[in-house]
Amino acid sequence: MADLNGVGPVAGALSASAWAQYAAMAALRWHMFVNGLRSKRGAFELGARTVSFVLYAFMGVGLGTIMGAGAYVLVSNEKSLFLPAVFWAVCILWQVGPVMMASFQEQFDLGILLRFPMRFRSYYLLYVVFGLADVSTIIGALCCLGIWVGVTMARPELFAWTALALGAFAAFNILMVRAVFAWIDRWLSQRKTREIVGALFMIFLLSLQLLNPALRQKRHQQPQTPQERAENIRRIRTEYAPWVKTAYAAQQALPPGLAARALRQAGNRQPVGALASLGVLGLWALAAASVLTRRLRAEYRGENLGSAPKRETSQAKASSVRATLVRRESGWRLGGSSPIAALMEKEARSLMRTLPLLWALGAPLLMVLVLASIYRNNASGTPFSYALPVYVAFALMGFTQMFSNNLGAEGAGIQLLFLSPTPIRRVFLAKNLFHFLLFWLDALLVGILTTLRLGWPQGVTVAATAAWVLFALPCCLAVGNIFSLRMPFRIHPGRMTRQRGSQANALSSMLLMLVVMTVGAVVFWLCWLLARQWMAVPVFLALAGVAVFVWLHGLGNVDRLANQRRDLLLATLMKTE
Amino acid sequence: MEIAAIQTHGLTRRFGALTAVEDVTLSVAQGQFFGFLGPNGAGKSTTIKMLTGLLEPTAGTIEILGQPFGAGALELKRQIGVVPEGMALLGRLTAPEYLHFVGRMYGLDRETTRQRTQELLEFMQLANESRKLVTDFSHGMQRKLAMAAAVIHGPKVLFLDEPFEGVDAIAAGMLKTMLQGMLNRGATIFLTTHVLEIVERLCSHVAIISKGRLVANGSLAELHAGVVSTLPEAEKEQRLTLEEIFLSIVGAGGLEPAQELSWLT
Repeated sequence: MADLNGVGPVAGALSASAWAQYAAMAALRWHMFVNGLRSKRGAFELGARTVSFVLYAFMGVGLGTIMGAGAYVLVSNEKSLFLPAVFWAVCILWQVGPVMMASFQEQFDLGILLRFPMRFRSYYLLYVVFGLADVSTIIGALCCLGIWVGVTMARPELFAWTALALGAFAAFNILMVRAVFAWIDRWLSQRKTREIVGALFMIFLLSLQLLNPALRQKRHQQPQTPQERAENIRRIRTEYAPWVKTAYAAQQALPPGLAARALRQAGNRQPVGALASLGVLGLWALAAASVLTRRLRAEYRGENLGSAPKRETSQAKASSVRATLVRRESGWRLGGSSPIAALMEKEARSLMRTLPLLWALGAPLLMVLVLASIYRNNASGTPFSYALPVYVAFALMGFTQMFSNNLGAEGAGIQLLFLSPTPIRRVFLAKNLFHFLLFWLDALLVGILTTLRLGWPQGVTVAATAAWVLFALPCCLAVGNIFSLRMPFRIHPGRMTRQRGSQANALSSMLLMLVVMTVGAVVFWLCWLLARQWMAVPVFLALAGVAVFVWLHGLGNVDRLANQRRDLLLATLMKTE
Repeated sequence: MEIAAIQTHGLTRRFGALTAVEDVTLSVAQGQFFGFLGPNGAGKSTTIKMLTGLLEPTAGTIEILGQPFGAGALELKRQIGVVPEGMALLGRLTAPEYLHFVGRMYGLDRETTRQRTQELLEFMQLANESRKLVTDFSHGMQRKLAMAAAVIHGPKVLFLDEPFEGVDAIAAGMLKTMLQGMLNRGATIFLTTHVLEIVERLCSHVAIISKGRLVANGSLAELHAGVVSTLPEAEKEQRLTLEEIFLSIVGAGGLEPAQELSWLT
C-alpha cells in the first residue's frame, strides 16, 4: 500500500497519479489472490471459483441466447410492441440478482482506500469498475449481447441503433445496481433505518402474497369447455385492457421501456423520436449516477458505515435508565435457563436483525407466487400435483447458507463460545434445533400459500413431503455442521454487499442441496411410476432414520473437530477486513 | 501448601516454523494481581489464549486452581472470566441481551442473570444505552461491556487482555475500582497491558516475556532488585520506574539504533 502513499498531488480520475493508484490497487488484488493460494483452503477456493465461473458463464450464455431468440422473434415478426418485456426481464435480473447472490460472492470493500490521498472521481470510478465483475453484470451484459445479436439478425439496419440503446441501457443498469447496493448498505448500517427497511421488506412480501390471490379470486373456477375458456379470456381482456394500456404507457417512460421504444422508433424510421428516447434513457443513467454520487460522496467525506451514531445528550434520558432497563428486561425470552434456550433466543434475535438472512428466508416465499402462477396457467388448466414438494424444496434452498456456515455471523463472539463452559456440540445442537424449527415454520407458510393459490394438496403428497423434510433436514444439518467447521467465512449481518464469501462453501452446499433434492425427486418419480404414491412416505421415513443417525453421530464429533480447527475458526470469523 | 491459581509448565506454542511462546513456566498465587508484560509480538496474547482455552499449546501443561486445564475442562471454565483480544461481543444484540446471553451460557439462572445484568449495566454506565445494538457502541463502551461480560458469573480467576485500550480516564478509574474490589474478595487477576503505569499501580507481581521466552518473573521489588544489581555501584541507590526496569530487561539497548529517516519532516 506504500505505492498509494507515495503519489504526489492528485489530479483528475485519469491523471498519472490516479493511474499509479489504480496500478497499486491491481497489485494489491493480485497479491491478495496469490497469498490466498498459500493454504490448501485458498487453492480449494480458487477451484470452486473457477467452477462457479463456468456455471455462471453457462447461465449467462443460456440467458443471453434466450433473450436474443426472444428479441429476434419479436423483431422479425414485427411484434416490437412486446420488446419491452425482454428489456424488463433483463433489468429485473440485473437489479434483483445481486441481492439474491450477494452473500455468496466475494466482494472487496473499497472503503479501505479512503485513508489514502485518492480523488473522489478515482474512488467513484473504482467503485463502478469493481461492479463490472459482479456476476449479475456479466450475465446482464451477455443478455444485452444476445439481444443485440437477435435484433441485428432480424433487422441488420438496426445494428448501430441497437448498440446505442443497449449501451445506454447497460450503463443505467450498472450505475443503478451499484447505487442500490450503496444505499442498502447505508440503510442497514443504522438500527432505525435497518428496522424500517426490514419492516417494509416483510410488508412487501406479505402484500404480494395476499394481493395475488385476491386478484385471482374470480378465476378459482377452472373453465370446463374451450368455449367457456375463450369466453373467460375475452372477459379478462376486456376487464384488464385499460390497466394494461396504462401500465404500458407508464413503462415507456422507464429505462427498459425507453430502450425498447428507441429500437421500435428506429425500426419505424423515426430517428428523431429514437434519439429523444435515448436521450431520456441517458437522463435516467445520469440520475442513477447522481444517486450513487450522493452516497459515495458521503462515504468519501468520512461517513463510516456502522459507526456509533450521535451521542445521547438529554439528561432526562439518564434519569429514566432504570425504567428503560426494566422495560427491556420484560421483552420476550425463551423459557428455561439452559444454554440451549439462551442460544436459541440469541439466534432468533440476531436473525430478526439480519436482513440478508431474512431476505434468504423470504425470497423463496416470493418465488412461490411466481411458480404458482406458472402452474396455475399451465395448458391442462389443472394445478400441478407435486407443487407442494417443489415449493418446499425451493424454500429449503433459502436456508443453504444458514446450514452450511452456521457460525458465520458470530464474528468476535465466536471467542465466547470457546470460552464458556458450554460444549460446542451443544451450541451446534441449539443452532440446528433453531434452524429445524425455523424451516418447519417456513415450510408451513409455503404450504398455506400453496393451498391458497392452488387449492388443497392431496393428503398423501402432504405426508410424503413432510417425510422428505424429515430426511432432508438432518442431512443438510449434518453436512452443514461439517462445512461450518471446515469452510467457515465471516458474514457481516448489517451488509448486503461488501461481504467476503466462500465460493467453496457455496458450491459444496449447493451440491448437497442438489443431492438431497435429487433423492427426493427420484423417490417421488419411482412411486409415481409404480402408481403407489403412498410408498414415498415409508421410504423417506427410512431414509430419515439413517439421516438422523448420521446427524447425531456428526454432532458427537463436533467438539473434537471444533477444537482441532479452533485457530482457523477464530482467525476466519474474527476477520475485520 | 496453597494451590496456585494459575500454573504452567513448559508452555510452548509453535505456528509452523515460528515459535511464538517457548517453555514458559510460571505460577500465579491466588489473590494476586499479576501483570504480564512484553513488547509487541513477544507472545503475550498467544500465552493468554492458551491459558483461556482459545489456543491449544503445542507442548506443556496448564493448571487453573490446581486442575489441568484445556478446551474440554468445562467445569473449570465456570471459574474463569476473560476479556479476550477481540472482546468476544455479539454485535446484533443489545447490551442487556448480550449480558443475559453470557450469564445463561455460564449456567446462571434467569433471575440472577437479570439482576446482575442490571447492576453491571448501571455500574458500567451503559444502562442508558440499553436499546442500542452492541455494533453501534463506541470502542470504549464495547470494552466496558466486554468487562461486564467477563465478570457476570463471578469468576475466581480473571484474564484481561489489554482491558484499558481505548478506554477513557473516567471509565479506566471505574474499572480499576471494580478490579480492586474483586481482588479484595480473593479473586486472581491476570493482566496484559502496554500501560506500565497501570501495572505499577495495581499489580503485585509481574512477568515479562520477550521473543516468546519468559525473561523475568517476580514481585515488583524483586524485579527492581534484579535490575539494580546489574548496575554500576554508583547507580545502585537510584529508584527505577517499571518502564526503566522493563526496558532494561527486554533489552532496548540490544536493538540496532534506528536509522534516521531524512525525508520525514
